[in-house]
Amino acid sequence: MLKRIYIDNYKCLVNFELNFGPVNLFLGPNGGGKTSVFETLQKLQLFVGQNRKVADLFTFSDRTRWQSSLIQTFELEIERGKKAYKYELAIEHDEKSRTARVKYERLWYERQPLLKFESDEVQLYQDNGTSASPYTFDSSLSALAFITPRSDNQLLTWFKEQLPYLIIAQIIPPLMGGESAQEEKFPSARMDNYASWYRHLSQDQGLAFQLTAALRKCLPGFDYFKFTEAGERHRTLKVFFTSLGQPSASTGYDFSELSDGQRMLIALYTLLLAAQAKDATQSGKHKFILCLDEPENYLALPEIRPWMVDLYDLCSEGQVQALLISHHPESIDYLLASPIGYWFERQNNLATRVKQIRAEDDGGLSVSELIARGWLHD
Amino acid sequence: MLKRIYVDNYKCLVNFELTFGSICLFLGPNGAGKSSVFEVLQNLRSFIGGEGRLEQIFKHTSLTRWQTLHIQTFELEVEGNKGIYKYLLKVDYDIEGHKARVKSELLSYNKKPLLRFEQGEVHLYRDNHSVGPVYPFDWHLSAVSSIFARPDNKLLTWFKEQVSQIIVVQPNPALMTEISETEFDMPSYHLENFVSWYRHLSQDQGFAIELNKTLREVLPGFDAFKFEKSGDQYRFKAHFRNENKNESVGYGFGDLSDGQRMLIVLYALTLAVKMQHYTLCLDEPENFLALPEIQPWIVQLFELCEQDEAQALLISHHPELIDYLLASPVGLWFERSGNLPTRVRPVVAPGESGVPVSELIARGWLNE
Amino acid sequence: MSRYSKVVVLCEGRQDEVFARTFLVKCGFMVARIRFVVAPKGIGSGEKFVREQYPKEVIAYRSNRNRIQNSLVVMTDADVIPVSGRMKYLEDKLQDERQNPRRPDEAIGIFIPKRNIETWILFFMGQQVDEDTDYGHFNKQSVCKPYVEKYAKSRKQALPDNAPESLKLACSELARIV
Repeated sequence: MLKRIYIDNYKCLVNFELNFGPVNLFLGPNGGGKTSVFETLQKLQLFVGQNRKVADLFTFSDRTRWQSSLIQTFELEIERGKKAYKYELAIEHDEKSRTARVKYERLWYERQPLLKFESDEVQLYQDNGTSASPYTFDSSLSALAFITPRSDNQLLTWFKEQLPYLIIAQIIPPLMGGESAQEEKFPSARMDNYASWYRHLSQDQGLAFQLTAALRKCLPGFDYFKFTEAGERHRTLKVFFTSLGQPSASTGYDFSELSDGQRMLIALYTLLLAAQAKDATQSGKHKFILCLDEPENYLALPEIRPWMVDLYDLCSEGQVQALLISHHPESIDYLLASPIGYWFERQNNLATRVKQIRAEDDGGLSVSELIARGWLHD
Repeated sequence: MLKRIYVDNYKCLVNFELTFGSICLFLGPNGAGKSSVFEVLQNLRSFIGGEGRLEQIFKHTSLTRWQTLHIQTFELEVEGNKGIYKYLLKVDYDIEGHKARVKSELLSYNKKPLLRFEQGEVHLYRDNHSVGPVYPFDWHLSAVSSIFARPDNKLLTWFKEQVSQIIVVQPNPALMTEISETEFDMPSYHLENFVSWYRHLSQDQGFAIELNKTLREVLPGFDAFKFEKSGDQYRFKAHFRNENKNESVGYGFGDLSDGQRMLIVLYALTLAVKMQHYTLCLDEPENFLALPEIQPWIVQLFELCEQDEAQALLISHHPELIDYLLASPVGLWFERSGNLPTRVRPVVAPGESGVPVSELIARGWLNE
Repeated sequence: MSRYSKVVVLCEGRQDEVFARTFLVKCGFMVARIRFVVAPKGIGSGEKFVREQYPKEVIAYRSNRNRIQNSLVVMTDADVIPVSGRMKYLEDKLQDERQNPRRPDEAIGIFIPKRNIETWILFFMGQQVDEDTDYGHFNKQSVCKPYVEKYAKSRKQALPDNAPESLKLACSELARIV
């Protein structure tokens, strides 16, 4: 679970801090900083997970416009049971050459240091606390990204392996095609690899069965998925719908022929079921952290709440954590019955400030109506 | 203005008919056929506009799956130019060979023929309805698309113009680029080419000034747009005022939030519709917008349509749009049960309800 | 928030909304600052919708008062009932929801055309009208605009004697809003 994030000098996020609960709803006007928080999570994930260069991910122009500071600071705290990891990253930009380097990168497990990367030198610590010999490292990269898993660094490895479970997505159904060249373990940022991701997931027959059952309930006419061969390793995802008059004969459609709303619904329920899947939670290893940008887009009104209810239940049980950016009345009015709302606002186009909000039930207007009028608070 | 459409054997649209007003709201569950109607309009526009061959625009996979009929029929009725035009297109598919050809293409004005294209032969009629030339033509193309404007075929030319003004879009800010290498005079489906389209639109200074004025009202801090030239490319930037320091900061269009870009696009579309008299088919304009932004925008579009300065067909699921628009009888509810054809009926709120329509829809009570 | 709804218009139908919008814009309000809550077009009148929403809007208005300057415009047709009777229906509904009655210092304006809004519009258009006839709907709701704008411009002047009574009553409500 994400516990806390700290960001300084990234776009409109200056000295910005946020603590998270099981469900978190980000609200507020456009340009207020909500997506910037997601972007930051994504960049940290790529930096540590895919060995990308620091200057490629954290560009000079992404620094806060009205500040001249050349240093960007990030902190990420991730819970593991009752304990927590803390990841700290500071990036220093050079104005003339427009390059960037890691000023420091540190990973802690509670009070115990696991990695310290400063002044081009990496100091590793094993699980039992003993320090290895320091070595020089290229400060345009993440030192953490290059540590290979070993029996004596399982703590550090757990942290690295948790990062891909941070699903940061803005699902765009028009981009979800039916072709799959290979299996993919995680969904992409726009879910355009749905077919490949489902190809991987469906190896778990139990999950495939549960997803089919769920979709039959919420998607009228849905019968089943089928992968057809389209070459040696290529597969095409087809979806079969029942005909009312002939229950035994289903009609097959290419996944890309489904409407945007249908694909969206499929993607959202797949996320829920993948998050609940036994191998993720039973061994107690890694839980999904779903960061979804406007999950209600493309959905019909009656479809939103049932999915929200399922998501909320999962989060309350601790099976998954959710960060949602939303503008939609259905989500807002339902979720804000609990104090899980964060209002992002920028005064005078300056730094983002966040306020926690919840709905007051005074017999008056709904929260979404208050938001539509700009009356939520001043 | 588009008055009526008839579609047979296209996806879930079977013997399907729809009449339009100056503003229409398509409602209903997903997969019920709303976007398919928009597709048909887009396909007809592309075909009549000569944008491609028949089989590039009308795919055989669009034939209704549970029917064995291999002929698709489309009819479009357009009102204007002091009369009513009727356009009919029948497409004949050869499924084995994945081929398609025009079985018949007919255009009439006030019930008198202007063009008849059947069995590979075109019969033209002049504005005064006298018989014009007869000649063979490729049945993979639209005969209407090939007619050049002449003094004696103004009626037909007017129709072609009208159809070319049909815009079908589903704006998606995530797909919009901020660099423009050429200008486009028509927006692409997801408005990916918005910046290039804007370049074309802003040649009309009146347009640029009015859009600037509107955006300053609805986008806090907005100052102006600027194009930065770099070689052959233009980078589109939006400048915002920083009130504290009284300076203007420029942001690349790609650096703006999705919602900000969506707002810009929607107001640009509305203004373009007003100035160029487009028929706008807009799929889910509410995505990405913040709640307080939706009603002010739809009020403006509604006013335009109500005063007959524009026609807009909207597909929406959003309470803000639904509740505002349905104070007028402009809602059309699309429904399909299982694999049956799409059915449409006008939305009528149950009598004396104390609850907004969107709430009824969310509860699934509207269609009972 | 630096931008918020300053006026809420709660009304029975599109014609009322066009009327109110045109009037308010001419008085200087920006459309983006007006929030419209319009009864859905269905079978029967929107009267019940307005009556049900009224207490909710009053509660919202009152909880906002200390922080944001806002006002509430309520429009409902008198139909065949006297204006005072229609006013009482609304006040009763407020009482049902255990709210205090509307006070003179509250920017809540209740406008009740008799017999309906078309009566007022036709009057602005220069026609002789009475408050009993049902004049029927206009084909195009935007027809009223130039006449409403003209009235908005001259709203400070007294109405002529032959103006509908309900319109004269409505004028006293105006001071709460503009």
